[in-house]
Amino acid sequence: MTTTATLAAPRGGKFLTFYLADEEYGVEILKVQEIIGMQPITRVPRTPAFVRGVINLRGKVIPIMDLRERFGMPEAALDAGAAALRCIIVVRVAAAPDRVVPMGIVVDRVSEVAAIASEDVEDAPSFGAAVKTEYLLGLGKSRCADGQGRVKLLLDIDRVLATDELSAVAQLDV
Amino acid sequence: MLSLDDAVTLLLQLGPEDRDELARLREALMDLAFGNEVPIDVQPLVAKAVRVLGPLADGSAADPAAAFADVSAILEAVMERSGPDSPPAVAEVAEDPPLDTLPADLDVELLRDFLVESRDGVAASEAALLALERAPDDAEAVNTVFRAFHTVKGTAAFLGLARLSAFAHEAESLLARVRERAIPYDRGCAELALRAVDMLKALLDAVDDALGAGGPGSPGGALALPAGYAALAAALPRHAPGAAPALAPVPAAAPAPAPAVPNVTEPAPAAEHVERRQGERRQGDRRQGERRAGADEAASVRVRTDRLDRLVDLVGELVIAQSMIAGDDALAGALATHHALAKKVAHAGKIVRELQDLSMAMRMVPLKPTFQKLARLVRDVAAKLGKDVELLTAGEETEVDRTMADVVGDPLVHMVRNALDHGLETPAEREAAGKPRRGRVTLAASHAGGSVLLELTDDGRGLSRERIARKAVERGLLESDRGMTDAEVYQLIFAPGFSTAEQVTDVSGRGVGMDVVKRNIESVRGRVEITSTPGAGTTFSVRLPLTLAVTDGMLVRVGRERYVVPLTNIHLSFRPEAAALQTVGGRGEVVTLRGETMPVVRLHRLFGVAGAAEDPSAALLMIVGDGRRRRSALLVDELLGQQQVVAKGLGDGLARVRGVAGGAILGDGRVGLILDVPELCALAESGEGVLPRPAAA
Repeated sequence: MTTTATLAAPRGGKFLTFYLADEEYGVEILKVQEIIGMQPITRVPRTPAFVRGVINLRGKVIPIMDLRERFGMPEAALDAGAAALRCIIVVRVAAAPDRVVPMGIVVDRVSEVAAIASEDVEDAPSFGAAVKTEYLLGLGKSRCADGQGRVKLLLDIDRVLATDELSAVAQLDV
Repeated sequence: MLSLDDAVTLLLQLGPEDRDELARLREALMDLAFGNEVPIDVQPLVAKAVRVLGPLADGSAADPAAAFADVSAILEAVMERSGPDSPPAVAEVAEDPPLDTLPADLDVELLRDFLVESRDGVAASEAALLALERAPDDAEAVNTVFRAFHTVKGTAAFLGLARLSAFAHEAESLLARVRERAIPYDRGCAELALRAVDMLKALLDAVDDALGAGGPGSPGGALALPAGYAALAAALPRHAPGAAPALAPVPAAAPAPAPAVPNVTEPAPAAEHVERRQGERRQGDRRQGERRAGADEAASVRVRTDRLDRLVDLVGELVIAQSMIAGDDALAGALATHHALAKKVAHAGKIVRELQDLSMAMRMVPLKPTFQKLARLVRDVAAKLGKDVELLTAGEETEVDRTMADVVGDPLVHMVRNALDHGLETPAEREAAGKPRRGRVTLAASHAGGSVLLELTDDGRGLSRERIARKAVERGLLESDRGMTDAEVYQLIFAPGFSTAEQVTDVSGRGVGMDVVKRNIESVRGRVEITSTPGAGTTFSVRLPLTLAVTDGMLVRVGRERYVVPLTNIHLSFRPEAAALQTVGGRGEVVTLRGETMPVVRLHRLFGVAGAAEDPSAALLMIVGDGRRRRSALLVDELLGQQQVVAKGLGDGLARVRGVAGGAILGDGRVGLILDVPELCALAESGEGVLPRPAAA
């Protein structure tokens, strides 16, 4: 439940990685509740654009966020094959120090669970990525056998989905 | 059962490694402590021994040898203090728990259970005390109170809550004197006992607060001493028959942290000890009484409310899943030919429906606790006003949804106050009017046609139509009452700022309250009506839905979206003719139906829905309103049918959305938004609500 500890704490660990366009992102595995298939989302009016709406998760209503929209990426133009790979990752976000709420994020496709050592995490450069640096824990390099490890953008999901920001935007709207 | 002596003897034969035996010893000591088999001053020590024994017995102690030595030392101290020859310990043992902090080694779970049980017990004793006032010889009522105080005392001591335990002891002693008929249960005594109940509540709240502030051992673990503690604690043992205590009442809820009175002296004169011993001798009888009382009530289990809510959610989901299976086309074909399968599906459906009924019933609670609080209120307010009032209740076993019981509490308090202050006359006035001196207030609850009916009746002077109308005109709420029915005139007392009290009292009459009553009741989709007969009394009838969880709604389609409109907001729907529509000032649109002109609310514009019908004469207008404001006409594409839905929040992650009351799981498993009609209309009228037309995506 600690979000502020990310600066000091070792940034390594296990990450669930996924793709948005051709960039690979990671979210701490401990924050992930489950992965569910894409399903019809009920739009909620008068919310920021990156709020896709709400779905029914076994009797509970949970909000679904669009990370592409959040990061200012163009809307996906996926063919049928690629669209079938899209899914929703349900993460548990610290809405307040003592409150954890489930939220879903729509991703293009889920990749793998990668173990990334602390020493393989570097500070994010302040340019180059579509994502604001404040949303990132850092850049993770995974070591592959062939030495061709790709860089993964490790998300600080609590900040990406910071609820006070959501509320602020929603209130501006009215 | 082991005595304290036996326990010590047992310990002498054991070592730190005899875990089974140590566990048995721990049980025995716990029984002793809970059962008040040991004197109150050594109870904290016995409790401490039990706490140290816990980890020792289950093998989790870091240093078993040291812990074992601790237990031995503690029990030795116990024996020294409780030994028959030894004088009452003068030198305080250093281990005594501090009075006003939570003990560091507290079992938080145990403490929470204690708080819940104690609050129940204290509430029950309050009811019993009120009953006792009517029938001072009711021995069973005295016992109920005595048992409740006694249990709080014992358990608090066991948990190391010294202040609470000491206070409960004083309260118990007062009741013990009543029970032994050493003092009569007169007015002064009743007052004192009720104050003690309030103080116990306040002390329990303080423990709760400390627990919330940081838990045991933390700096936040300090217990705030409720205001008036010292005076009351001192007054309890000094009470003499006939004396009316002049004490300030305990602040009812959430007492502000009063400056702690340093070291309130523990009044423990020798006489108290004698009394206690007598009390202990009687313990056998008391135990049996307890068992008898327990057998009357059905066995129950406490369940956390979030788990219960989750269960209700899941059952709702099960109902939907089941209906999806039963309605599946593939299955429908098979059912026609396979009778055995059809039978099985029907059977499963029956079980699911029964499960749904049951899970709904689990949210229901009786109104009894709500009524009990009012009984106390009537007593206190009547005393303050110098009126003689009798409260009769009926149907207190009527069950309502848990949230509903919370919501109606405050309105009922206001209504009862109002009835006592304005409704009932003074005894002298009543006598002059040929009525009995004692006024009567009746509170009745019953189930009536899918809703709960609460009726509050007084036999007072009744409402004066003339006075209400005059006042309303003075206040500018009304031009004239001509053509209004009595019921409509009476409704005026719910208008904000309306008050007919000739003089403002501190009980009621400040013009706040009655408008809040109506608002609160309407917030849970209830209604309140008044009937009154001049000179004979007034009845307030409050009608509430059985549960908040289920909303009767109309499913409507707007473009590709579906929304649920609560049925209570819908007056009628119709397809307008083009001639009935008009634009006003080039901006707003109005529709006229049977002489009533209403603004048209284009839902698709407010909510930015693509693909909705633009031409009202090709769609439907739904006349909606909440019965207070002007009605509006909501433009929707189509009505999809009436449906009962379970209202849910939109998830904590989203801010509250204006115009949306919540979400509901629809028959196909998707979420539908429930509209907040009054808010929606306000949004439309404010003119700020229109969103840019979305691209036809």
